[in-house]
Order: sequence, then structure tokens, then C-alpha cells
Amino acid sequence: MAAHMFAAINVGSFELELGIYEISNKNRVRRIDHVRHVIELGRDIFRSGKISYAVADELCRMLEDFVRIIHGYGLTECRAYATSVMREAMNNHLVLEQIRVRTGLKLRVVSNAEHRFLNYKAIAALDEDFDRNIKKGTAIVDVGFGSMQISLFDKNLLISTENLPIGVLRISNSIRNANPTVDRTRDLVGEIVESELENYRKMYLKNWEVRHLIGIGEPILYLFRYENDGKPLTNVTRSQFEDLYARLSVMNEEEIESKFGVSADYARLILPGAVIYQKVMEMTGAEQIWVPGVCFCDGIAAEYAADKKLLKFKHSFENDIISTSRNMAKRYRCRSVHSEQVEEHALEIFDAMKKYHGMGKRERLLLQIAAIIHACGKFVSVHNANECSYNIIMSTEIIGISQLEQEIIANVVRYNLRDFDYDMIRIENDFHTAAGRSESRREAVILIAKLTAILRLANTMDRGHKQKLKGCRIAVKNDRLVITTDYSGDITLEAVSFENKAEFFEEIFGIRPVLKQKRGV
Amino acid sequence: MAENSERFTDPKNYVNRELSWLEFDQRVLGEARDKTTPLFERLKFLSITASNLDEFFMVRVASLKDMVHAKYTKPDIAGMLPSAQLKEISLRTHELVNQQYTTYNRSILPALRSNGIDMVLRHEDLTPEQAAYADRYFREEVYPVLTPMAVDSSRPFPLVRNRSLNIAALLKRKEGGDHLRKKEGGDMEFALVQVPSVLPRIVTLPSAQTEEGTAQKSMILLEEVIERNIRELFLNYEVVTSHPFRIMRNADFSLDEEDAVDLLEEIEKQLKKRQWGEVIRLEIEEKADKRLLKILRKELSVSDEDIFEIPGALDLTFLMQMYALEGFEHLKSPKYTPQPVPALMNDDDIFANIRKGDILLSHPYETFDPVVGFVRSAAKDPDVLAIKQTLYRVSGHSPIIAALAEAAENGKQVSVLVELKARFDEENNIIWAKKLEQAGCHVIYGLVGLKTHSKITLVVRREEDGIRRYVHLGTGNYNDSTAKLYTDFGLMTCHPLIGEDATAVFNMLSGYSEPLSWNMLAVAPLWLRGRFLRLIERETKNARLGKHASIIAKMNSLCDKDIIAALYEASCAGVEIRLVVRGICCLKAGVPGLSEHIEVRSIVGEFLEHARVFIFENGGSEEIYMGSADWMPRNLDRRVEILFPIVDEELKGRVRRYMELELEDNLKAHILQPDGTYEKPDRRGKPPVGSQQAFCEAAVSAAQAAYRETAGGVGPSRVFTPIEGKKETEKG
Repeated sequence: MAAHMFAAINVGSFELELGIYEISNKNRVRRIDHVRHVIELGRDIFRSGKISYAVADELCRMLEDFVRIIHGYGLTECRAYATSVMREAMNNHLVLEQIRVRTGLKLRVVSNAEHRFLNYKAIAALDEDFDRNIKKGTAIVDVGFGSMQISLFDKNLLISTENLPIGVLRISNSIRNANPTVDRTRDLVGEIVESELENYRKMYLKNWEVRHLIGIGEPILYLFRYENDGKPLTNVTRSQFEDLYARLSVMNEEEIESKFGVSADYARLILPGAVIYQKVMEMTGAEQIWVPGVCFCDGIAAEYAADKKLLKFKHSFENDIISTSRNMAKRYRCRSVHSEQVEEHALEIFDAMKKYHGMGKRERLLLQIAAIIHACGKFVSVHNANECSYNIIMSTEIIGISQLEQEIIANVVRYNLRDFDYDMIRIENDFHTAAGRSESRREAVILIAKLTAILRLANTMDRGHKQKLKGCRIAVKNDRLVITTDYSGDITLEAVSFENKAEFFEEIFGIRPVLKQKRGV
Repeated sequence: MAENSERFTDPKNYVNRELSWLEFDQRVLGEARDKTTPLFERLKFLSITASNLDEFFMVRVASLKDMVHAKYTKPDIAGMLPSAQLKEISLRTHELVNQQYTTYNRSILPALRSNGIDMVLRHEDLTPEQAAYADRYFREEVYPVLTPMAVDSSRPFPLVRNRSLNIAALLKRKEGGDHLRKKEGGDMEFALVQVPSVLPRIVTLPSAQTEEGTAQKSMILLEEVIERNIRELFLNYEVVTSHPFRIMRNADFSLDEEDAVDLLEEIEKQLKKRQWGEVIRLEIEEKADKRLLKILRKELSVSDEDIFEIPGALDLTFLMQMYALEGFEHLKSPKYTPQPVPALMNDDDIFANIRKGDILLSHPYETFDPVVGFVRSAAKDPDVLAIKQTLYRVSGHSPIIAALAEAAENGKQVSVLVELKARFDEENNIIWAKKLEQAGCHVIYGLVGLKTHSKITLVVRREEDGIRRYVHLGTGNYNDSTAKLYTDFGLMTCHPLIGEDATAVFNMLSGYSEPLSWNMLAVAPLWLRGRFLRLIERETKNARLGKHASIIAKMNSLCDKDIIAALYEASCAGVEIRLVVRGICCLKAGVPGLSEHIEVRSIVGEFLEHARVFIFENGGSEEIYMGSADWMPRNLDRRVEILFPIVDEELKGRVRRYMELELEDNLKAHILQPDGTYEKPDRRGKPPVGSQQAFCEAAVSAAQAAYRETAGGVGPSRVFTPIEGKKETEKG
């Protein structure tokens, strides 16, 4: 098979990155060119919350160059993503528009959850290496400029992933005014990191055994780049780490500059990066860090390869999303036989309606997540469960889904229990920046309505939480969605409730759901 | 150890680089003095010593003068202050110049005469017939382009152009009129005229009878013709005395790149300035009128030690012009034609041939054509997406430039880094750069603060199974003219890791961030010094462990202190180190307790030794590298250089044999002695080995063998040779 080529662009806080990839069964995702340019978007945002004109201009010029390089390879397929900096910039609309006009690139701003998930896909794309590394208790430690992400794995499955406000730039800026000495810097950074990690340990890590760390994100790439006799060290043992840490912690910024081959601006970020990993190692007792050396663009390429079905991945990312959702349900004590039944019914309805609802695999996944966590609000208040659910979902990071998708789920869960009102739907997502899958608010609202209709119906099918309709048959016959159950007991409660929700369902899909009880055959 | 390591860095154990360079020019002069060298080749060598010396003054001496002016008092690698260096240089250069002219006057001129070439030294010696010819030549050709300049109080002393040949004269007004400059020469007046550089320096005369019979060719230098007719220039004056002189000015400008907004503009500006730097050398005919010399010394503010009184013709570079005269082929070495490369002597295109395996090119023994062909094929090949290349000293009318322009016109992405900072070549380079830009190439004018010295070409090609990158890496410039004269290596490969690194090199040169790591290449200024030091230290470690350890390295110059100290240490640990260093060598070889295991030799032959090769024994799994960098601080710290490995076992064998042969050379080699002088090896009882000659012969027979094989394969029997069969041929 001829190799498929693809370009990925990442507009990061500190750097612009262009990756040119060749995707083939033989070499899988092979990065054939990697162009990087340092640009301090982060500094602008930190100072004024905005991207200045000069930096925006530089950004456009560099992206113009990138487009030229992409054309040089004769490529048309390109995905350009921006992360936290563009998300946080107050004037991001204007900058994105400028980029679109000047370069033709539609830059998509991704949420932290998407960003981290892509990073993680980049590692997972390494297939064998990845599988070998996540078998035993493993945590991916993704340290970035503004925050870090710790993701825990158990037997090839993602269990939880948390974002902590510890990033190298954030830390470096927060201690800057203190003007600490070299020794003091290490201790100060250590204190900041420790306090955050302590919360994490209590809440999430608990007694989880972590033996391996996978270090990703940019700062760690620089830490070990020369450690293997002048070449990058990829498998770092604890003693190798300690050795580097001891050497590093007595260096001033000039020494760091020359020893690590970084610019002066970057030099002050090196030590905070090392301290973070050191503290994580200390907290988890991990013996080794694997530094696969992947970058964000690799993740974009891996996602592209998966979307276009160019490659098969051993690892199932959907399972990760589902397992983290289940874990979330567990945390809010809404993991029950009932919710499992609702999930089952919802998916059955979805599958039976396939020809009529026009939705795909991704929407099915959103529905599944909504079903899994639909009762999480009850953890806070049974009386006001719908609003509480909405708020919990909105403030919990669900890995692998975009901000809009998260809002869709939150709304679906919210309207599961209250009357649907098209005009009252809250969507904070910025459609302009997320030039992703859903183009407009109207489409999002319709999707919410469709998923809500299905979830409601599924929920009502287990109204009594007794799983009476388990094993029912669901099929569309003569423009009706016929649900046939062999349950011989009383289903009055379900039937009454069903009728209520059936109306909304019909309104949405034009198909009337009918509940039939088959008796004594 | 501590005591030892002090020895390794003790300035006493280092040689000053300028003095070492003068030793090199001395070796070149040695070739001019060697009676076994064909006469016209001797002319060439003598001419080279002169042009070398010119460049040395303009760059090195000038720079030292600048240091003295700036009161820079940091001692050099050998512990010498700039002023002390200048003193030594002056002594040594005067000696060298004396030897140049002894050679010219006592050896070359008589030899020319006995070969029928009569150089008329003084115009007074012309035969009447020749004199008439010379006068007519003066009137018709010379007079119209002369601009005589007189000096008086209203006209300042004229600006004398750098490296130009001039005639200074003292005049006396015949009758009446204003007096020019009276003070210095009493009632004498001063004037000068530049010997026009647009006319050939050698004027061919009608032949005359000499002691040896009728000369085949008679000639006189242009300045003699002008002197003979100088009265014509100053009609109302009596010319009291006139003598040719020549000056050299400070030419090494340090460009402040941080401030230069537009590098190109800045260099153009500097070029204009270069003409008028401080005078650092005055050459004047021996026994010139003292009054004349006095005026020159004052007006040009030149000190006594910078004045060279020359016993003969000034500026011996005219000998190169004589070398080019037709009809004297019997007095030259037989002309060598670079041979075709066996691996490419087939019908496959260059890309197919590279895919069969790495190809090593050994210039000038093998032709440079494949390198030009590589770029040309890439320009035409529809599957090629991009061509990227660094150009350092490009020859006039370079076919490579034309091919690159064509590629851009064919819609390929062409990026070219044109190094504008190549010494003395800026003007040339700017022209090419503009040409390429017009053709649609993306031209990068070098990096701020760094010279791009690496020679690399990358061709990105889209093939059936994906992108494949073809890379040419060389030790010499992409210059098809010098490739016939310089010994260099080139490697053509499509090794994916080298391709990846090559891409990263060009990204870096385009101003993007450096890659986080390199696969196979080592790149200066950031990574190369460390790499070399680690390679040397590995040998030292091996030697200490009792393993056999050795280094063979070949380069143009060796003057990096860290590297030399590491070599001393390696030598003391027992590493066997054999170096072939053509030019400057600041290392002391064969000194007991310091460098007794180090041998340094310099090969000065017909071709200019230019390749850089580094062989490390590495406990049995030998590593061979080549590159563009010498072991000099400027190469390791201030230039973009690339060191590339030779990985193919067969090619490694070839390179090793090449180096071994150079180490056996006893005709053109000079061995560095512990006292810093060079001596030719003792040949008694040994067969003569001339490595350059041997390489020529080997290349010829390899090409012939390949011809025979190919002819045999598809010859009269009309049997077509399968590819496998051919492969044997290509590699043979």
C-alpha cells in the first residue's frame, strides 16, 4: 500500500510545531519531518491575557511558512490544533480569524482533556512498546507549561486521569518575584509541587500501586536529551534520575542553558520540570520512567490515522473513555444495576434506530457516557439531581472528549429529568474556536435533543429499578419502535412513564415507541 | 595524572598557528624548489606560495594588528602575545620571501631560459626589435588605460588600492610651473601610476637570440613596459627615478551581525570598505630610491618591519599566468582526467544506483559529475518534491546553480543556503543568490554569527513506498572547478536516519529549532566538539584497559586546544595516533612523555589535500567519519559543520586503504619533527610511494575494469546482463 501522508500543526504555549507524517502498515505512523519554532504565546497571555499584535503577526508568518512546507511535500491533508494558550487568550477569535485569512488554516482549539488524550494516543500509537509498559501499575505523567496530567492505568485500561495546576511555566512564574537562589528554587518548587500532589494522593491515588511512569510533555524531552552518551535516554531508572537531579539542582541558569542545549527562557523551566518528576517518583515509589519522546503532533497524526482507518491500534481508546466514565460513576456512587440497565437499553434503542436517527459511532459513545453517569447528581442532592448532575459533569474532566461533547453530555443528563426546552439549553462552547465536528449551536441542540430522547426512554424502561425489561426485543416496525418484553409481572409503572416519554421521542424522531408485554406464550 | 594533565595544556607544548602556517607555505615552496617537480608545476607552486602569503597577510597579520591596536593581550595557544607573534612572523616571512626569490632568480629563471623561455628582467635589456614592439604595445594598449596621479598640497596622497601593483616616481619639473611636494624630495615631486590589472601581467615579445640559442618565447612584465615609457605620462617633467611597489591592507573585517539588519547590504558595504584598510605590508623593488621609499613609508604609515625589499619581480602570482601558456605541456605533469565512478557506470538513474547501496566519491581521482548530475536529475525528476542544498564557494557559471534554478521553475521546493561570509567570495556569492531568488528558490543568507561550512544536499523524493530522502554529504565545496584540484570525499546515501538528520539540518538552517537529538550526523557548533572529544576519550579508555587503540585522522588544520590536549592524553595512555594534517598544526609530535605516539605528516602535492577523515579503532569495531570540519576552534564553535559516518563495510575498507596509503607516502609527505620543523621521510631501502599518483592510477584502472565488464556484459554476444551480475561490476 502506498503510504498516506499527513501534516499536523500544534500551536503550543511555547512553541509552534509542524509534523509531516507518513502512515503505512509497514512503518505505521512515521514522522518524516519535524519543524519547530519557539514562540512565546504563553508570556503574552500571562502578562495581559491577550495575544499581542506582534506575536500574532509572528504566529501568522510562521504558519505561512508551515503551509509552504506542507505544500512542498505535495500535501493537502492537515490538522492544526491549538491548546491552552489559545483557549485562554481573550482575543482568540480575532487571532484565529487572522490565521484563517492569512494562511487558510482553520485552527482548532482543543480542550485540556482532548489535548492530553491526544498526547496519550501518541504513546499508544507505539503499540508494542506501549502495551509492554502499561501492563504493570503505570501512570502517564504529562507535564506541560500550565498544568500537568496524571493518568493511572490498570491492565491496559485507563482508570483515572486528573489535571493538576502544576506546570513548569506556571511554577517558574509564581516564584519569580521571590528571586530565589539556586538551592532555594529547588526547595520552593518542591513545596508547591508537594502540596498539590498531596491532595491528589489523598483523593485519587490512594493505595494504587504505580511502578512505572511514562513521562510525556515537552519539558521532559529536554531533561534526558543528552543523558545516553550524548543521545536521548528513553528508559530512565530511578538511580539515573537521582543522578541527573543531583547534578541539575546545583546548576545556575547559564549552566543549564549550555548543558541542556536550551534557550535562556527555557532554562528556567528545566529545574521545575525535574522537581515535578522527582516528587511524583517520590510519591508513587516508581522505579522507572519511560520517555517515549512523543510530541503533540504525533498524537494528532495517530488520531488522524485512526479516524481514517489507516491503521489499527491494539489499544481501544473508547474503552478508556468508558472505563474512566465508570470510574467517575463509582466516585459519585451512581454505579448501580439500574444505571447498567439504562446503559444497555439506551444502546439497544440507539442501535435499533440506526436507520432513522442518522447518528454515528461517536454519538453512540456520548450516549453511553451519559447513561453511565446519568445519576451522578444524586450524590449531592436527590431533589435537585438534574442541575447537580449538570454541574458535576461540567466540572469533571472526561478524557478524550471535547468541551462541546462534554456540554452535550451534561445537557443530555440534565434534561433526562426535566422538560426539554430548546431555548433554555446552556451551551458555553465557543463554536468559532472549536471548528471541530459540530459546526453550529443548532446542530448541537438537535443532537442533545436526540440523545436526551433516547436516554429518557431508556431510563423510563427501568423506572422501577427492577430490571423488568431486561432482555426485551427492540425493533422498528411500521414506523413504530416496538419494545417487546417477556416479563410476566406488573409493568404498570414503566408503561405509564413510557407513555410520557414516548411523546417526546416521537416529536424528535417521528417514530412512536410502543411497549408490548408478551403474555404466556 | 594531575601533573600530566597540566602538561597537556601547557602553552609550551603548543605551536603558534601563524608560525605553523608559515611552515606550511615553506613546504609548498619546497615543491617549487624540488628539481624532480616538472618546471611548470614549480612555477605554479611558487605562485601559490605568493598568493598564500598575500592571503595570510590580509587576514591573519591584519587581525593580529587589530589586536595590537585594540590592546588585546590574551596570549595564544602557545602563550604568545599578538605583538610577539607579529615580530616572529615578520622575521619568518622575510626569510620566506628571500627563499622565494632565491628560488625564482637562481633556479626558476635559469631553468626557464634553458627551456627556451626568456624572461627579460629589465626593460633596458630589450633588443631594439623587442623595444620597438614594447613601445608600440605601450602606446596602443597600455597608455589608454593608465591614470597617472601627481601629488601636491591641493591633491591628497592618492588611495592606493589593496594588492594592486603601482609604479611610484620622483619627478623634476623641466621648466617653470608650480612645485609639487618639495619637502621630502627637495625639489622632487612625487607621482604614481597603477599598473592596470585589466591587462595581462606578462607581455609576450618577439623572440630574441639568447646564450642558449633562439628563445622559443620571450616575455617581459607589464610594469617594465610602463617604466620604460613613463616619460610619456609626465610630459613636462623629468622622471628622476621610478620603481614598482605593492601594498597590502587589512582585509579581515569583523561583521557585527547582531546589528546588521540586512546581512546582504552590510556585506556589500564592507566589501567597498575593504579596499581602504590600514597598510600592513609594503613591497618595493630592492634598491629603490631612498627618497621614494621615505615618501611611501610616511604617506602609507607603514613601519620598517612591514617593508619588504624585493630582489625581483613583485607579486609572483603572475607565474600562474605563465603556467597557463600554451605549448609547454612537456614541462607540466601529465594532465589527469577525473575518472567515472564504477558504481554509476550503468544505465540506471542515480537514484536507483544510490538505492543499491551507499556510494563513495573520491575527488579529484573520480569525477565530480555525479554530484552535478544528482542535482540535475533531481531538478527534472517528476517524483522529486524538494531539493535543499548549502552552497559555500560556488564556481562561476556553476551547473549546480543552473540545475537548482531549473528545479524551482519545475515547481519543486528548492531551498538554498548561500553562505555570504566565505572569505573573499562575497561578491561572487551575492550574484548567485540573487539569481536563484529570481528563479523562485527560497534562499537563506546564512545564520547570524555562524558560517555555514557544511556541504550537504538533500533530495526529497516521493516513491511507491513513501518518502525517500537522498543525501549527498561532502568534505569539499559544491564547486566543480575546485573538485578537479582538491582531494575530497563525497557520500551519496538514502539511509533513512541520515535523511532524517539532513532534514533537521535544513530546518535548523532555516531558523527553526534544533532537533532534540541526532541519529547519525554530528553537527557543529553545538554538538561536534563534544562528539570528537568523546571519540578520542573512548580510545584513551580502551588503551588504559589494555586494548589496542588507535586514531587515524586527516584534516587541513589542527589547532584546537581541547582536542590537542585530549590527543596528548590519548598518546600518553598508549593510543597510536597518526595524523595527516596539510596545513597548520599546533600540536607537537613525537615529544617524549607528551606525544611520542603521535605522528603528524603533511602531504603537499599536485592536488590540494582537502578531505577530512577520522578513523577510530573503537576496540575492534572501527568507526569512520568524514566531514567538513577541521579540528580548529572556528570550525567547532563558529560554523555549521557536519560530521557523517561511513557505515557500509566495503566503503569503510576503501577509506581505510586510502588513509593507509597516505601514511605510506614518501614522495610528497613531510613529517613533523619534535622541534616543529618538517622533514621528508627517509626513503632509503623503500620503494617510492606517491599517494596522489597511486590514487590516480587506481581510479583509472577501476574505471577501465568497469568498462570492460559492462562491455563484456552487453557486448557482441547480445546477452543482457541481469542486475545481479552488474552489481558485482559496480562495486568492483
